[in-house]
Amino acid sequence: MQKDPLSPGDAEIVRKVLDGDINAFEVLINRHKVLVLQIVTKHVPHHEVEETVQDAFVKAYLSLPTFAGKSDFRRWLSSIAVRTCYDFWRKAYRSREIPMSALTDKHQDWLEEVLSGGSVDSRQEESSRGEARELLEYALDRLSAEDRMVLDLVYLEGLSVKEAAVLLGWSTANVKVRSFRSRRKLEKILKGIRQRGRRGS
Amino acid sequence: MRSRISENERLKRTFQGVYSAKAGDDLVDGWQCRIMRRVRQAGPLRSAAGFWPSFEHLVWRLAPVCCLLVLLLGALFMNMDLDRGYDYLGTVTADMERPTLSELYGLEG
Repeated sequence: MQKDPLSPGDAEIVRKVLDGDINAFEVLINRHKVLVLQIVTKHVPHHEVEETVQDAFVKAYLSLPTFAGKSDFRRWLSSIAVRTCYDFWRKAYRSREIPMSALTDKHQDWLEEVLSGGSVDSRQEESSRGEARELLEYALDRLSAEDRMVLDLVYLEGLSVKEAAVLLGWSTANVKVRSFRSRRKLEKILKGIRQRGRRGS
Repeated sequence: MRSRISENERLKRTFQGVYSAKAGDDLVDGWQCRIMRRVRQAGPLRSAAGFWPSFEHLVWRLAPVCCLLVLLLGALFMNMDLDRGYDYLGTVTADMERPTLSELYGLEG
């Protein structure tokens, strides 16, 4: 994003907000909404995105006094957005508001095809992507909120353990152990789906 | 073993592709206003520059100095000649006699 050299920096706007100019916070929202939206879209279900984005910005506003101004505001905000998504999953798992997705034979066939190394026809690519997405959601639904977030960040997004630890506010050792265990759990879930498919056929 | 690794790798790549394809749609109009409404409801923020935050800051700044002092005192204590101290104490206590009741009350002539 090209930054206007004449526009005030994030730290300056934060200072204004802390001095009582609440409306200045809207400048920060405008400046960083795409970033927050991108993060939230990846981690929470589609219909929950708007609410979670709002929560992330409100949480950021309330946490502004703790923003030291020494670190990068974007990084600080990213961390808040990721933690808001984590909070969303914790709450959702507690109340089980999110319906568990179900699998059909199509998903099992898709899994077999991918694992056997078969190429997917370009015409089938779109529907295949849909099946992959549903299968991934099915597997993630069966993990805890912590495992889900770590898997999202490290396994799917490809972040390093250290980067994920900073975003989640956890220790590096914790993320490393959780990343290993959650990957094992995912493999076990997929193996279970495969075995069920074989038994069914 | 090798085929299992490649199977997992293939799955990982497929899932990563699906995951990165998740696009952020534009949000419904007015979401920004809703955030600002919630922000205004929360009211103006109090800057963290009060007594306790600055005290906490000071404590943390002094923490390394305290650690260094503890280490120095520890080293000093280790190198101290404690045996000599015990000798002095022994000498003093050896010379001490338990006063008798008559001495205490000055009954002896």
